[in-house]
Amino acid sequence: MSREEILRAKDRGITHLRRIFGDDAETVIATERYGFISGLLKETLKKPAIERLTVSDKIDKVVINRWLGIPIFLALMYGVFQFTFVLSAPLMDGIDAGFGWLAEQASGIGGWFGSFLADGVIGGVGSVLIFVPPIFLLFIALAILEDSGYLARAAFVMDRVMHKIGLHGRSFIPMLLGFGCNIPVIMATRTIENPKDRLTTILINPLMSCGARLPIYILLAAAFFSAYQGLVVFSMYAIGIILAIIMALVFRRWLLPGPSGHFIMELPPYRLPTIIGVLVHMWERGRLFLFRAGTIILGVVVLIWFLSSMPWGVEYGSAQSWLGHLGSFFAPVFSPCGFGQWQASVSLIFGFLAKEVVVGTFGTLFGVGEEALGATIMTQLGWTPLVAYAFMVFCLLYVPCVATVAVIRRETNSWKWTGFAVGYTIALAWIVATLIYQLGSLLGLG
Amino acid sequence: MVNQCMPLAMVSPGEVATVVGVRAGWGLTRRLADMGLVPGTTLRVTNSQMPGPIVIELRGSKLVLGHGIAQKIMVEV
Amino acid sequence: MAKEFTIALAGNPNSGKTTVFNNLTGARQHVGNWPGVTVERKEGSYLYQGYNVKVVDLPGVYSLTAYSLDEVVARNFIVEEKPDVVVDILDSSNLERNLYLTVQLIELEANLVIALNMLDLAKSRGYQIDVNRLPELLGAPVVPLVATRKEGNGELLKEIVNVFEGKAARKKIKLYYGSELEEHITGLEALISGDEELSYQFPPRWLAIKLLEQDKEVLQKIGGNL
Repeated sequence: MSREEILRAKDRGITHLRRIFGDDAETVIATERYGFISGLLKETLKKPAIERLTVSDKIDKVVINRWLGIPIFLALMYGVFQFTFVLSAPLMDGIDAGFGWLAEQASGIGGWFGSFLADGVIGGVGSVLIFVPPIFLLFIALAILEDSGYLARAAFVMDRVMHKIGLHGRSFIPMLLGFGCNIPVIMATRTIENPKDRLTTILINPLMSCGARLPIYILLAAAFFSAYQGLVVFSMYAIGIILAIIMALVFRRWLLPGPSGHFIMELPPYRLPTIIGVLVHMWERGRLFLFRAGTIILGVVVLIWFLSSMPWGVEYGSAQSWLGHLGSFFAPVFSPCGFGQWQASVSLIFGFLAKEVVVGTFGTLFGVGEEALGATIMTQLGWTPLVAYAFMVFCLLYVPCVATVAVIRRETNSWKWTGFAVGYTIALAWIVATLIYQLGSLLGLG
Repeated sequence: MVNQCMPLAMVSPGEVATVVGVRAGWGLTRRLADMGLVPGTTLRVTNSQMPGPIVIELRGSKLVLGHGIAQKIMVEV
Repeated sequence: MAKEFTIALAGNPNSGKTTVFNNLTGARQHVGNWPGVTVERKEGSYLYQGYNVKVVDLPGVYSLTAYSLDEVVARNFIVEEKPDVVVDILDSSNLERNLYLTVQLIELEANLVIALNMLDLAKSRGYQIDVNRLPELLGAPVVPLVATRKEGNGELLKEIVNVFEGKAARKKIKLYYGSELEEHITGLEALISGDEELSYQFPPRWLAIKLLEQDKEVLQKIGGNL
């Protein structure tokens, strides 16, 4: 009883106050609070008479300039990739050599245990760990962008574009950070109030190529496109962004129509990122990668090694092994895309568990380190650059890894949308890869 | 001198304006109030991507406002 | 067995809250989820003067309205789990905006320690802040801080314990909203005080103000429909 009384008194109060102030009580309350704050600051804060144009303001004059904004952003993105590549190359060579030596020692043990160690564990996990340098460098770059305050500017600059696809600038930051790992980003969409915006952002997020897919690009780009590898990898990310934009448009127009949320965002001043801060951020994201390498990837490559070695006595990694049978069963699905070999098919199937496993599978199957792995794929599977490119695009687009799917399910609270996310990405991957391969073949590109 | 009353979206970069009112629903009005924008607040437009978002400076810090929102805030220049 | 108490870290996004959290807890932190929601919950702990202090990092928010999930989570934690101390971390170069949250924390009657972070930034802008005057006006101890350089950390740890032990100089600050508003606030306050359950759960004056603000979540809790 008394609760209703309280509510009625509240309603009376609000009506009365609206009449007096001509505005909602809450606006007046907010104004009074600021009044209190002003009074308090008058007594305790002294600002200089003329506030100089801060460094941040000066930088912003250029960085978020109408005309320069987007080009600067693209240039920065390209710079990030170059940075990641150039610095990581020598490191990767070193790690590769190390694992190669380890594998040699292991196979010297002989027998199936030697094979288990050399081909299974070292070949599989090693082929993934080689990519620690580029992945960690990418995370460093992302951390610098975030900590410096530039990301907010990127969101501002891209808002015009985002608006055209029915989202707004605030969705852009999560999308960019998806280049590291989709999982925390999908969780971060909770700051997007409009549920349709949020769902759309979650659905297109997997198209923002995550760090786990990077090994695939680097491996194949180096082997098949050596001179142009940087450009090829960059094109993967670009395709991801473009398709994310297109799918967002499609979703917002037909699947989830409705008004877009409000775009209000604080623009913090630029800050010089601290080394410790950047490293902490890099480690937060990077250690997940290492953790997965040690657990999921290790587990899966061991499984794959096992399936490649069975039935007893079969030639390791041949089409007669269990793995071969599994792959051959699904391989025809991928023929139109250009990679209808059973090895490709199993790597993609197991790639559902963790994208790094795609490379790990090849590594286990062919039992070699990264450098020779690319060349091995070229000779053993008979791929041309066109096929490699179609495969990379397929990997870029198809279903997010199991962990990401689990997070999507948690954040959307709906099996329907989770299933949709899985389904549409597979379909999109297949269609685009097939288009690339078929059109490319027609054009005589290989 | 008569003060012109216009949507914030029409204010040019560099100009100072005072908020008169917000023509929006509960959520947006509340959100703007939380960020410091209430009737009587003085602000300055620093950057504009019209017809895109704008950046305003108020209460000592900067805020990005989407174009749609800038149209709903009425100010006096 | 060390004595235990819980503190919550509140503040705007970009106020350096994470740095403070890292300074306090070091490696002893753990990320989970707030019960019932998918928002990340960061927790950690540290040992100080015989106390085992549990630190909960609240989501960075600009206000404690029910506009977004972040704000609801932050507010509910303070109201329902009633942490022993709430540390409000402010960006000193941006006091006007940051104090808006502080004011709401004061109205929530939280046991506050106010940390004036990023003083280096404020100084570089030529701002001069009378740190000695602020505790009196805000009714809570104020600690100057430059978290990135770990300056002020010691004083912060001390004040947190002071507030917990009830030794800190504190005052109940009441914001005056003008006669018309105050009339209705006091009226509602009286009605709320009559409701035992409500007045135990929420500070009556805070609840009265929230009702006049038509706060969605509060209205839901009282079982009203908008």
